[in-house]
Amino acid sequence: MARFVLNRALKAVLTIWIAITATFFLLRLLPGDPTTLMVEGDMTPEMRAALLKTYGLDQPLLEQYVSYLRELLHGNFGISFRQIQPVTDILLDRLPWTLLLAGVAFLLTIAVGIPIGVYAAAHRGRWPDKLLQGFGIGGHALFVPSVAMLLLVYLGAKLGWFPIGGAVDPDTRGAAAYLSLAHHLVLPVASLVLVQLGPYALTLRTNLIDVLGEDYIRAARARGLSGRRRLWKHGLRNAILPALTLMGLQLGTLVGGAVLTETVFAYPGVGRLIYEAVGQRDYPVLQGAFIMLAITVVVANALTDLLYAVLNPRIRL
Amino acid sequence: MSKTINGRARRWRAAVALGAAAALGLSGCGLNEDNGASGESAAGDAVLRIGTTTDVSNFNPLQSLSKTDSWILNAMYPHLLRIDENAKKAPELAKDYTYENDGKTAVFHLRDDFTWTDGKPVVADDVKFSAESIMKYKLGNVAAKLTWVTSIEAPDATTVKFNLSQPYAPFAEGVGFWMSVVPKHIFEAAGDLSKFPNDSNWVGAGPFVLESATKGQRYVMKRNDKYPLAPGGKPAVSKVEYRLYPDVNTMMLALRNGDIDLMGTPVPASAAKTFENDAKIKMAKVGALGFAHLTYNMNNKDLAKQEVRQALSMAIDTKSIISSVLQGDAQQMSGPISPIFADYDNTEIQPYAFDPAGAKAKLTAAGYSDGNGDGLFDGLELGVACDQSNANLTRVVQLFRESAAKAGIKLENECVERNTFLSRTKDGKYDIDASQWGVFDNPMDQLRSTYLSSNPGGINYNLLKSPEIDQLINDAAGTTDTAAFATKIKNIDKVVHEQAYLTPLYVENFQFAYNASKFGGFVASPSDLLGMVTAYSLAQVKPVG
Repeated sequence: MARFVLNRALKAVLTIWIAITATFFLLRLLPGDPTTLMVEGDMTPEMRAALLKTYGLDQPLLEQYVSYLRELLHGNFGISFRQIQPVTDILLDRLPWTLLLAGVAFLLTIAVGIPIGVYAAAHRGRWPDKLLQGFGIGGHALFVPSVAMLLLVYLGAKLGWFPIGGAVDPDTRGAAAYLSLAHHLVLPVASLVLVQLGPYALTLRTNLIDVLGEDYIRAARARGLSGRRRLWKHGLRNAILPALTLMGLQLGTLVGGAVLTETVFAYPGVGRLIYEAVGQRDYPVLQGAFIMLAITVVVANALTDLLYAVLNPRIRL
Repeated sequence: MSKTINGRARRWRAAVALGAAAALGLSGCGLNEDNGASGESAAGDAVLRIGTTTDVSNFNPLQSLSKTDSWILNAMYPHLLRIDENAKKAPELAKDYTYENDGKTAVFHLRDDFTWTDGKPVVADDVKFSAESIMKYKLGNVAAKLTWVTSIEAPDATTVKFNLSQPYAPFAEGVGFWMSVVPKHIFEAAGDLSKFPNDSNWVGAGPFVLESATKGQRYVMKRNDKYPLAPGGKPAVSKVEYRLYPDVNTMMLALRNGDIDLMGTPVPASAAKTFENDAKIKMAKVGALGFAHLTYNMNNKDLAKQEVRQALSMAIDTKSIISSVLQGDAQQMSGPISPIFADYDNTEIQPYAFDPAGAKAKLTAAGYSDGNGDGLFDGLELGVACDQSNANLTRVVQLFRESAAKAGIKLENECVERNTFLSRTKDGKYDIDASQWGVFDNPMDQLRSTYLSSNPGGINYNLLKSPEIDQLINDAAGTTDTAAFATKIKNIDKVVHEQAYLTPLYVENFQFAYNASKFGGFVASPSDLLGMVTAYSLAQVKPVG
């Protein structure tokens, strides 16, 4: 097991390094530089040179890269070009909001997805199953911003049931603030869950149907175990294993989806920070945000693999 | 039994872990605990809520380049001059300005009743320090406007003299309008101002000063009780709160729902009608300083020919574009100066009429032919670049492509992502550029920036090298006599039009939406950069009733 963990950790570190390197060079391969956006009006070559020097962009690319890696090893993500503040501070300011949004959506997808998937599998071929299949296939076609905008317009603006922007009413304190927080979370979370739920439940249903056809389930039936016990205890325990991988991947999709959701709902997370930093070509912020997202996804996948290995010892072999 | 206990213990551990994670998350979020501003105010005091699109990226007004930053920072740091709704410069911190020494010295006379919020008066030394810092650290776009400055003097508390290497007619207008004045006694201590974030303990002298900034959510400004340009000596509104809505559609919903009272951004022409049935929302309409246009790359062998540029100008149906793309909410232009500058707009110039047959005849006369009979001139194939995030211009390029085909000109749509577009434009890697200028506060700066070949920092996207234009621009730039200056500008308009260096398309009307049932008194400025969110405008706002 120790060898498996070490092997997985090394792969995770390698993946993160590739993500860091790719992000660094891809951003710089894009046409223009941070001064490109300052063309409205006069800018002398001296001014441009001064700005590039301030940003450290006057150095050869490889030197910039080495220096960036050196700083990263010291935990320094650099200084934002536009905000003149440490990227770490900026990210830490926004990260909790994204974790909250993506975390709640993730847990809700699982909490609601499992019973739906199990119910559909238990009623295979009947109308609840057909309904789920339609919902699952439709879920693949749904686009987060479209769903978000629909919820915003109808439930937020037209019916006035939920706030249409922000994360918490700034004028609230104490318990009222927590209630306001939950109230503000409903629509962004709903838009993420609606998109993720169908495909997740459908995958679980398919796995469960496969498992329910296995010999050991038939043996359990022969032993006289009740249908509910066969389904939930023996079936689900085995069917959920492949769905674990999907959960890991879903976390990445959720974080990506949060970029779009946060923009529509004016939610103050990392997603919106990325949206703004792209427009400003703020390399350090973009690099920091992408690295953080990469770490989130890689760690989530590594944990999923480990959990998989714990639950299914054959993986470790 | 032991199995049950273990199961329970596991569940408890999981619950505790989840709770701790949630608590950590929420404490990280702050959840209003550390926020100094409550948003509540004493009875009778009004809070004006404004929708903005992005966070403040830089609190240092000398360095900031963002439009949305300026909405907040301009309310805090005074400028010598402001621009009024007719695009004329009006006094702000400076009462007036004069030129001495044959135009080589610009002298500003300051008001003596502006004070910083820490009680110190705003004096000439603050202006001198601000300008010298910009020059020293080459900060922001103002640095280019100070190119001619050789020295700055502050002989007394209310006089600032800028000594110039050569006369430049709109120097005072440009610097007066664009340069923020910062408190020397605060900023001097920061050392290198290019690295000064100025992100706390704000001291300002505008009508409002920042009180708290909650990144990603809101910025709260409190009233400066001693702002001389507000009726009664202080703004009627006690606080201004900026709330963030990155998506303009969400911002419109927020205005309709009463979450905000004013949209900082203009309402898109296509969306303005959605407010028509809402009795509480009013729209203020103003013209614009900038305009949409086609610019031709003079390094292209075909576009270097005057006949080709003129034919292209005749191959675009501007009137139809205005009615279909902008729902008629724009004005057609003829010369290269926005008509809002009434003193400089050459009204004798007429736009090139849409005439595909005439354009075809012009190109035939210039030696182009259609050998294969496909209706298009052989070898005349041009790309039109634009910023694809500008929905109006993307549509313009499509319509231009269709109408130019009728004139036998094949155009390719090369609209791309904004940064790529700007980069290509800057590097001259395009044939025709369809874009929209933002703010030109005076025609001389505009002409100098766009056509003067010896201005390396300019935005001469034509890559024009015309000794005639250079001479005309340099001659006008040194003319401090107002009437003679206007005549010279109008003459440059004429030459640019005849040469068709650019085809001006339209100048948009901007519409700004606000909740008229709660507030009134806004003063709109002719630019989406300023709109109704200027220091002067915010100081005039009054609660209704």
